[in-house]
Amino acid sequence: MNTIKNVKQLIACQQCDALYDTPTLKQGQSAKCTRCGCVLAERKVDSIDRSYYWSLAGIVLSAPAILLPIMGVTLVGQYHHASLLDCILALIDRGFFMIATLVFLFTLAVPVVRLLGAFYITYSFKFNRLKPSLLYFFRAFHHLDNWAMLNVFMLGIVVSMYKLLDDTELSVNMGLLAFILWLICSTMASIALDQDYIWQELENEFVD
Amino acid sequence: MSLSIKTAQESGLALCPKCHKLNNMGLNASKNARIQCSRCHGMFYPRKPHSLQYTLAWNAAALIAFIPANLYPIMILYSMGIGEPNTILSGIGEFVDHGLYPIAVIIFTASIIVPLIKIIGLFLLVYRVHTGVRLRPDKHSKFYHALEFLGPWSMLDVFVVALLVAVVELGFVTSVAAGPAINYFTLTVIFTMIAANSFDPRLLWDKKQGYENAKEENDD
Repeated sequence: MNTIKNVKQLIACQQCDALYDTPTLKQGQSAKCTRCGCVLAERKVDSIDRSYYWSLAGIVLSAPAILLPIMGVTLVGQYHHASLLDCILALIDRGFFMIATLVFLFTLAVPVVRLLGAFYITYSFKFNRLKPSLLYFFRAFHHLDNWAMLNVFMLGIVVSMYKLLDDTELSVNMGLLAFILWLICSTMASIALDQDYIWQELENEFVD
Repeated sequence: MSLSIKTAQESGLALCPKCHKLNNMGLNASKNARIQCSRCHGMFYPRKPHSLQYTLAWNAAALIAFIPANLYPIMILYSMGIGEPNTILSGIGEFVDHGLYPIAVIIFTASIIVPLIKIIGLFLLVYRVHTGVRLRPDKHSKFYHALEFLGPWSMLDVFVVALLVAVVELGFVTSVAAGPAINYFTLTVIFTMIAANSFDPRLLWDKKQGYENAKEENDD
């Protein structure tokens, strides 16, 4: 029965299951596991505000990043350009439904849903509208952690630019700028989100 | 040194993988009972069940899908109505011919080296955890995190083909079509990601601990 009392003062490493006393951290500090070196607990600076504004900017930018043409080519007087959405539509057009679905999920759906989710959570915290359903919502939000691949797509843009530079006339459009800014916003929004803090607050509010 | 650290499992506690809340395993503390988290109400196991078997199975699937991914063309370049199929390797060869070495290295790393290292590395980790011979949890868990981090970057080639198909669409003059290999290659990437996800790094430490405990008992 001794353990039941102490559970709230204990913390375990997610990667190696080592047990520690919960550290008291100031903003900007983090604790590392002495056994495997992974981060045990973190207290991020100004987490709710930063994540709120980054995700808001990301939501605004997602429309131009998805719809504006990223780049175009000119060859023998003909010009053609494509946006992120065009990539997916072109794949559907050629009958590659599986690839189209996956590209859609990894570069469009997951990042947008993550931004909206981060926005909703930080909005509820900022304006004190906490609901018990947030527990389920935030849990579901964690399922998307590994599946956003905007940074990989960015490298893909760079590589295909090199490929096209060689024998066509390449032009860069506004979509590229919007896409880069969108990438920065969504990365910053997920970095700024302090999961430990949010879970702790939700627990204090709704669990017994 | 490692013996002084107590794990949550030994203390009758279990960590929720989603919200990182420590839960009491309760009185029916069988080793791998399903538990409901008191904070987020999700169901979870103290250790991922059948972690090694799942990892092995997904890994084998990835290896099988990797073979057609390299044999079939991934991209077909049409110019003036004549199609020129390119496999992953011949595409890299073309970059080398044009003297674009940095891009050739990036693509070679992302689409050949990373999937192979992931598949071989996970096989190795599963084997080491299974036998427990020469297990170095500190090194191996770092290796595992590197594998996990590298996973999504293999999608690079797929995104490049998707972009080229959409951008290079100049009718009869030039156009690019995706080849059948792109399906298999994507499957390889997804399978290795799921394989890495189903591996539980805590097993490395459990096995080491069990190994050392058994050794001590023998010595006494």
